[in-house]
Amino acid sequence: MQKFNISFLPDKKKVFITEEVNLLQAAAEAGILVKGSCGGDGTCGRCKVIIKEGNYTTKQTGKLTKEQLAGGYVLACQTTAESDLVVEVPEASRLSEHQVLLEEETVGEAVSQTSVDPLFKKIKVELPEPSLTDSMDDIERLKMAVRKETGIENLRVSLNTVSNIPGILRKEKWKVTVSLADVLGYTEIAAVESGWDYQKYYGLAIDIGTTTIVVNLVDLESGQTIAQKGSYNQQAVYGDDIISRIVHATEEKNGMEDLRNAVLKSLNELISQLASENHIDINVINYAVCAGNTTMVHLFLGIDPKYIRLEPYTPAINIPEPIRAEEVGLQICKTAWVYCIPGIASYVGGDITSGAQVIGIDKTEKVTLFIDVGTNGEMVLGNQDWLMACACSAGPAFEGGGIKCGMRAMRGAIERLDVISDTLDVEYSTVGGAKPVGVCGSGLIDCIAGMHKAGIIDRTGQFSSNLTNQRIRNGDDGPEYVIVSKENSGNGQDIALSEVDIKNLIRSKGAVFAGIRTMLRKMDLPIEIIEEIIIAGGFGRHISIKDAISIGLLPDAEFEKYKYIGNSSVKGAKMVLLSKTARDEAVQLATKMTYLELSIGNDFMDEYVSALFIPHTDMTLFPSLSE
Amino acid sequence: MAVNIVKDSYKSKVVEITVGTEANAIKIGGDSTLPFLHFEGEMPNKQVLCLEVFDMVPEGWPENLTAAYEGVMSDPVAWAKKCVEYGADMVALRLMSAHPDNSDTSPEDAAKTAKAVADAISVPMIVVGCGVEEKDAKVLEAVAEALAGKTCILGNATNENFKSITGACMVYGHSVVSQSPLDINLAKQMNILMTEMGLPNERIVMDPLSGAVGYGIEYAYSIMERARLGALMGDKMLGNPVIAYVGQETWKAKESKASVEEFPEWGEQAKRSILWEVVTACTLAQAGAAIFVLRHPESLKQLRVHFAKMMESNAY
Ligand code: FES
Repeated sequence: MQKFNISFLPDKKKVFITEEVNLLQAAAEAGILVKGSCGGDGTCGRCKVIIKEGNYTTKQTGKLTKEQLAGGYVLACQTTAESDLVVEVPEASRLSEHQVLLEEETVGEAVSQTSVDPLFKKIKVELPEPSLTDSMDDIERLKMAVRKETGIENLRVSLNTVSNIPGILRKEKWKVTVSLADVLGYTEIAAVESGWDYQKYYGLAIDIGTTTIVVNLVDLESGQTIAQKGSYNQQAVYGDDIISRIVHATEEKNGMEDLRNAVLKSLNELISQLASENHIDINVINYAVCAGNTTMVHLFLGIDPKYIRLEPYTPAINIPEPIRAEEVGLQICKTAWVYCIPGIASYVGGDITSGAQVIGIDKTEKVTLFIDVGTNGEMVLGNQDWLMACACSAGPAFEGGGIKCGMRAMRGAIERLDVISDTLDVEYSTVGGAKPVGVCGSGLIDCIAGMHKAGIIDRTGQFSSNLTNQRIRNGDDGPEYVIVSKENSGNGQDIALSEVDIKNLIRSKGAVFAGIRTMLRKMDLPIEIIEEIIIAGGFGRHISIKDAISIGLLPDAEFEKYKYIGNSSVKGAKMVLLSKTARDEAVQLATKMTYLELSIGNDFMDEYVSALFIPHTDMTLFPSLSE
Repeated sequence: MAVNIVKDSYKSKVVEITVGTEANAIKIGGDSTLPFLHFEGEMPNKQVLCLEVFDMVPEGWPENLTAAYEGVMSDPVAWAKKCVEYGADMVALRLMSAHPDNSDTSPEDAAKTAKAVADAISVPMIVVGCGVEEKDAKVLEAVAEALAGKTCILGNATNENFKSITGACMVYGHSVVSQSPLDINLAKQMNILMTEMGLPNERIVMDPLSGAVGYGIEYAYSIMERARLGALMGDKMLGNPVIAYVGQETWKAKESKASVEEFPEWGEQAKRSILWEVVTACTLAQAGAAIFVLRHPESLKQLRVHFAKMMESNAY
């Protein structure tokens, strides 16, 4: 088999690949993250690169314009080398690293009101010296002392710890520092050090999102988050959504390894940055708690995800046990444990359990709706008496996926927007006040609401045929509305929303609302019963509840009922990391929740179709809009 | 022991639509009860039985059907007159020749045919396009104008072409058939969009699309039933009379066409085909349909008797 050198510009990175590897894979190998929303199907057109030199074969999929073809553009996933190549990866085709919004407010915030009782801790003990009348063995002596100090009954010791124990105990006259790690059901004496001077120790709270990954470095003694970092989940080069990743993992050669390595690489990079910036050794990171959806957890642990997406949708495992970091491949202390928060079903995972726990949905009398307005659209409804969860698969539209001008809430994203009814002009504000380069979820909601109010689109999202305005024109995907013209944008391109985009968004919002209604229907409850609505997810901090209601995305409830909680998944992971009680409660919560399979019966489909309308086919559900 | 008759009381009723002019005008809908439950509410108007006329000679009709229209099938005016002779309450003219695969008749010519037919008969008309949405938009616009003042029902308006058809009907005073594919929500959405354009609700007829007996009628049945229940419960956007294109569906079925030689166990084709049409119509009437577009005069005759019986009061 022939092999070729591919060098990528402007990074000047080189890889040596065989003729059957496409350029999307080659770029991944070179550490360059090219957008591969469709997972290399050739259907998303996001993986555009420019061939500067060399011979290649490429398949045309109609995703490139005439100008682009003339300019040497190809789709990386459809192109293989026939000689050495020089390839330029334009900025627009890259996954940008800074697209994760972190929540500053959690840094430095002591999490728990109760005392910190983390899953890993160090305690000081003094052992009674042995004598002729007390000749108990060293380990039993140690265990007894620990038991006396902590009250923990079920203690275990690894051979590793036992091997040098006699010397360690005697070195500082029976004063030792013992590291205790909680391993679901028993406590491990993870290490024993002589004397009472010990190094600080840390843990990680991790959110493995489909799109982004966030890691919090937590001081396990004080319970404080020392630092946090986020980045893109590098699995994105194998597809935007979990389904295309499962397909890649199960159908491509080495697919499973690709995905596992990608997420590990993302995590290990963040961890090593966090460690070096905070001047700590990775070996003092002694416990990690991860929250992720079921697919993410499978791929992270290297568990076959195949049947998650096949009827009747069964994951391999919902409640994983703690696993050694070394076995997982997480670069922290080798003997550290990695614990994944339990999930509920194939499409409602530990990230949701985690969030549900943070908001205390199982401890309140109030009927609470907890929604993650993301690609998977998970939601939980209930209170202390009953809990129900489902995933409505809203699609990535509100995260900017599948929308031509869509983007995540990062610098330059239009996050608020007003359409002036008579002139059809637009007033907007962007994240960071930068020149606009696209529209994020909250801006998209505003935009549809505004376009409908101004009469640009009808209730089904169809453009009105009798409006003439220079902002409305015919584009590649049919009629479109120009939000910002290229003269005023930050990337020299028009920012426009087409009818196709709008229908896409309507489908997403319809799925979310239909999910809510289907759960209520199962309980035979009216929508007014909901007393609190908590929105989670990277949905942009500035979503306008008013506009979300006016397009029918969210229930027509008083604004006071709404709360935004941000990345509740990582918050929950931190809670569990710092509290055994919280860990036990998380397991209970996951077991208690009833999963509602939306593909069974007609309820969801019926609700979905009736929600494909602005705001809804049944106007009586939106009384505040009929004034 | 005395049995108490359980009566539901509904807060609303089906919209009443008027078609045709003056002496020939007929009213449709207006029901304030489930079909034929005269003891609970009113069914002020009779079921409307229509016969279909094509503006070209239709293909593939079995002999017992063509025999009924012997000699008139190449002349829509004569055909329509024949339908009136057979006792049709309304004539449903189908402008099939406008289909690009047929003779692609221009909107103007199609409108002329419609006008000629309308002028020749005394009963009100339904005019249906060829089913190609784009073409129908143009054809029905022209027809609406040509039939101005005749207060017809024009259709079928779909998601793709309802704007132009609704617009034209508003101007020229016709009612519109709003057609949606077997989904109550889509039906409702169409009605909302059409009324929001300014078309009065009393000018909309719903067609949720039905299949014949044995070909998916149960879906249509439950959807029509939901529409009726919705209407009675006060959902204004579901409260329109329902039209059922019975003939079009049943005469497609193998059971209507195949000869007894082919399927001896099915019995006589001539008898069986009529039954297929009659049973489909009766079934949909139970679900709440108000207008029945039929093809065979014999079916019409039998249904007339059946409905007359069903409309007798069963109040206690
Ligand atoms: S077109 Fe190449 S990844 Fe989608």
